[in-house]
Amino acid sequence: MTLFVTALVTGIGLGAMYGLIALGFQITYSVCSRVNFAQGSMVMLGAVLGFVLTQRAGLPVIVAYPLALLGCGLMGMLVELCLVRPFAVRGSEAWLMATVAGGILLDNTVLFTFGNEPRSLPSPLVETSWQILGTGVFPQQLLIPVAAIGCAVALQLLFRRTRQGRALLAVVQNPDAARLMGINTTLMISGSFALSAMLAGAAGLLIAPLFSVHSDMGTLFGIKAFAVAILGGMTSAWGVMIAGFLYGLVEAFVTTYLGSSHTYILTFALLIAVLAVKPHGLFGQAALRKV
Amino acid sequence: MTPVLANRALDLTILALTAAAMLSLGIVGGYTQFVIGLVAIWTILCVGLNVLYGLTGLVSLGQVGFFAIGAYGHAILMQAGLSFWLALPLATALTALVGALLAIPAVRMAGPFLAMVTIAFAFIVEHLAIEWRSLTGGQNGLMGFDMPRVFGTTLGERGLVILSIGTAGVALLAYRRLANSGWGMAMAALRDQEVAAGSLGFDPIRTKLAAFAVAAGAAGLAGGLFATLMQFIAPSNFMLSQSILFLFAVILGGAGTVLGPLVGAAIVVFLPEMLSGLAEYRLLFFGALLIAVLLVAPRGMVGTIAAVLPRRAAPTPPAQHEETLAFIRPDAPAGLKVTDLGITFGGLKAVDGASFEAKPGQITAVIGPNGAGKTTLLNMISGFYLPGRGRIATAGRDITGLSMHAAARLGVARTYQATRLFGALSAEENVIAGLPRGRGGAPFSALATQDARATARGLLALVGYAGAPDTPAADLPHVDRRLVEIARALALRPHVLLLDEPAAGLMHGDKQTLAALLRKVADCGIAVVLVEHDMEMVMGISDRIFAMDAGQPIAFDTPDAIRRNEKVIAAYLGDGTPEAPKRELAYVPGAMDVLITRKLCAGYGAADVLQDVDLRVGQGELVALLGANGAGKSTFLKTLSGLMAPGKGEIILEDRNIDALPAHRIVEHGLVLVPEGRQVFADLTVAQNIELGAYKRKDRPEASELETILDRFPRLRERMDSPAGLLSGGEQQMMAIARGLMAKPRLLLLDEPSLGLAPAMVEELYAVLAEMRDDGITILLVDQMATLALAVADRAYVLEQGRIVAQGNAEEMRGDDALVAAYLGGGTSQTREDVA
Repeated sequence: MTLFVTALVTGIGLGAMYGLIALGFQITYSVCSRVNFAQGSMVMLGAVLGFVLTQRAGLPVIVAYPLALLGCGLMGMLVELCLVRPFAVRGSEAWLMATVAGGILLDNTVLFTFGNEPRSLPSPLVETSWQILGTGVFPQQLLIPVAAIGCAVALQLLFRRTRQGRALLAVVQNPDAARLMGINTTLMISGSFALSAMLAGAAGLLIAPLFSVHSDMGTLFGIKAFAVAILGGMTSAWGVMIAGFLYGLVEAFVTTYLGSSHTYILTFALLIAVLAVKPHGLFGQAALRKV
Repeated sequence: MTPVLANRALDLTILALTAAAMLSLGIVGGYTQFVIGLVAIWTILCVGLNVLYGLTGLVSLGQVGFFAIGAYGHAILMQAGLSFWLALPLATALTALVGALLAIPAVRMAGPFLAMVTIAFAFIVEHLAIEWRSLTGGQNGLMGFDMPRVFGTTLGERGLVILSIGTAGVALLAYRRLANSGWGMAMAALRDQEVAAGSLGFDPIRTKLAAFAVAAGAAGLAGGLFATLMQFIAPSNFMLSQSILFLFAVILGGAGTVLGPLVGAAIVVFLPEMLSGLAEYRLLFFGALLIAVLLVAPRGMVGTIAAVLPRRAAPTPPAQHEETLAFIRPDAPAGLKVTDLGITFGGLKAVDGASFEAKPGQITAVIGPNGAGKTTLLNMISGFYLPGRGRIATAGRDITGLSMHAAARLGVARTYQATRLFGALSAEENVIAGLPRGRGGAPFSALATQDARATARGLLALVGYAGAPDTPAADLPHVDRRLVEIARALALRPHVLLLDEPAAGLMHGDKQTLAALLRKVADCGIAVVLVEHDMEMVMGISDRIFAMDAGQPIAFDTPDAIRRNEKVIAAYLGDGTPEAPKRELAYVPGAMDVLITRKLCAGYGAADVLQDVDLRVGQGELVALLGANGAGKSTFLKTLSGLMAPGKGEIILEDRNIDALPAHRIVEHGLVLVPEGRQVFADLTVAQNIELGAYKRKDRPEASELETILDRFPRLRERMDSPAGLLSGGEQQMMAIARGLMAKPRLLLLDEPSLGLAPAMVEELYAVLAEMRDDGITILLVDQMATLALAVADRAYVLEQGRIVAQGNAEEMRGDDALVAAYLGGGTSQTREDVA
């Protein structure tokens, strides 16, 4: 029972995290069919900025975290401007390798400026643990899924209820018609990359108290979140969130019951198997081909 | 594909480099020897990756997984007592097999999905290496492998390095030959234009599987040599980041070039050795270098240098005209019989019960207004779409539901509305690509033999291509692209040739040449099926015409009968049944024009679709712009609204020049386009769609304004909260117009508002248009139902082949012959010239 609860809590927490980061992939992919492969580095950037602003600059969390997210958003726009747009204009697919390289660049820049020893970001929510069904659970672990789902819902509200959000949806559904409404699609694409990086940054801030903060902390999160986005079919926000929970739960249960040695082998083998059967992901659809 | 002379030079360069590398081992120290060995091993792996990425265009981030399987496979087999010479090929074969297995799910995916599968694979292999301790030794790894024995002597490290260099040399030579073979052509064709590759008979699945297997095998071979050279392997040698470095080496050196992998491998392996003091900055440096290369020299180092070297193709005389005609003449001419063919997309019957027969030696045209389903019909015949019902038969075989490449191999060739040439290949190579009818042939025998090149040049001459045969297809002007595409289709020696709007965008003279060519091709005994909008051409050269409208067949007859067919005329001009209210008070021209275009030109690529269009729309006026499909009407509206950049000329809206503004700024100035096909935001509600129309307005639209608009379209009122995608076509059109009105336009452009609507709905729509006109809204209307458009319009222009050929009062134009001529062609050129 204890094992089960541990696995469940961990799985939901991890799944929410993967889902949140994967939403970032989903947003940019929906808007312009491209993604930022440095998404993992954006997770790291959020955590590192959070650490630097609170621990070194001594800013209160309420100021520091929004600033950290703003930093991530700007970085996302920079990635789009320098590593995606130049290739998109040429019709080249090289943005894929360019953003991978951008991630490497960012990770290593942080490594040499921030240092490579892992640090932990203190949070009142990991100081004491609560006993739930005989298992010790940090409040932070419970905060993660709540915050992630909150972000996802807030995002949907942003899209449905605000002028710019609807403009973004319009670009997703029909870029040419959106231009005819007077919507600046270039700006919207740039904004989607900013939003995507901010979601990753938020994930980084949320997990930092549970893990340590260091320069390559985001790599694995980025890859798993990408797996989740692919599994969810890339284009459906709820598909991606559900895929995130599925992935997190499978990972947590495999780790708990079979041992961590099997985690990667089983989860990734399962991913390939699912894609072999459904090449567009669980919730994705093949577009009608035209010539 | 590279010219013959360059091939010989390349082979010699590879041999010289191989020899030089081997000889250098005599003068360098032990560690440098080891590094040279590593470069050789990386080269082998990167040559394989170059087949996958450079040649076939598939990104794999999982090569390190194959590298690991090769290394562990070789090491484990050696430790089990097998000799080096047995273990290495076994490990290579095993890796190639794994590669082919992984490819089975992977080849159906594109872009990010494929990348993810290869990443997942690399992770699985890495973690298997860590966890499967009994086999791999876990984190401790495996060590101590026997060196290979040659003629009774055991090779030392230098011997192994020589072996690796030799293998790398062989790999480079093999790549050079593979790239020039039928297989290499199939891979390059898939990379450049997957759809077109299929229509030349290349099997995409088999080709991609082969590319994956070759890349995996090369990585496995490299892995085996790596294990022996290192004498120790552990999971830390095979981390995912290594995969990125492999891909980096290929891109840096030059993806798709012969020597690129060697140059890339040398740089990626040597550079950290030279900068040993800065070893920790290695990844930082590589990341920055990769971005710089991608931005500045996307072809890589070798590719960038090769681009400035002259391409010296050995001159080959083209095959004689008679020879070429004999080449394309089918051995056993066979026609095409289509029976009751149908397909449905999301409830819409795109083609419903099409039946016709195309006889060998004849030209059979397929005509119909926009949205009639002509291209969809060709797509089903050529195997691009799976028909929902009906039969397609040719040469005594039922080809219904065959894939594109299977249909092509049976002799059904096609061209595309927007040409689909292999941009990186020359005109001649594009044609050569069609010659093998999709068969790869021997992997290492050249496809472009003297004979093949002569045939290709003969075909280029036959179609009237006058340019240089070695110009890359991407650099060809529009007319030449069309011609090369036809030559490429003919290279298949088809008995059925499907042409999708070959005359679109051609000048009058070019069209006549094209018509003569098609006649000549048909006379060879080929069944030519022609989808074309240019009625003059269709009526002039067709033996039979199949006419359709909105997916329904309406006639299959001779040109003369079609020209007189009431249903066909109705489909093109509107059958006159829907009525539109006339103005009650006559229109009085105001002092000022809302829109003026002066000598406006625009187009895609080399050919101008619009030529010197002068047009004006007065305040409160409703002007109709008429003309056949492909005349340039939509292009004109797109150019006005900024979706397309004008080539030359001016667009003046009120007193502002708007020709240089982007689309979203033009809306701000009050020019609003309601595009063809409605273009609704399907998942947003009707209310949200309409609201988006006001996106650029500075003031918040008042509720009363929405009410006024909804009063015009009462049908929308009860649908305000349903997603726009669920509306009927007519409701969507009304919503699109309502959305346009929300912008408070100074000029509203309407592109084909009646397209695809039921007659009753068209009448309702036109009643609203008349009401809007009477309320003083300035409108420029494009509609293929010319009589209807003229019924509401004050003035009209007729556009033909991108030029205004007639203009005047709508009332007077209703009986104008130029109008019928513009739509159905033939017999009235006199009138046209009089007007022009």
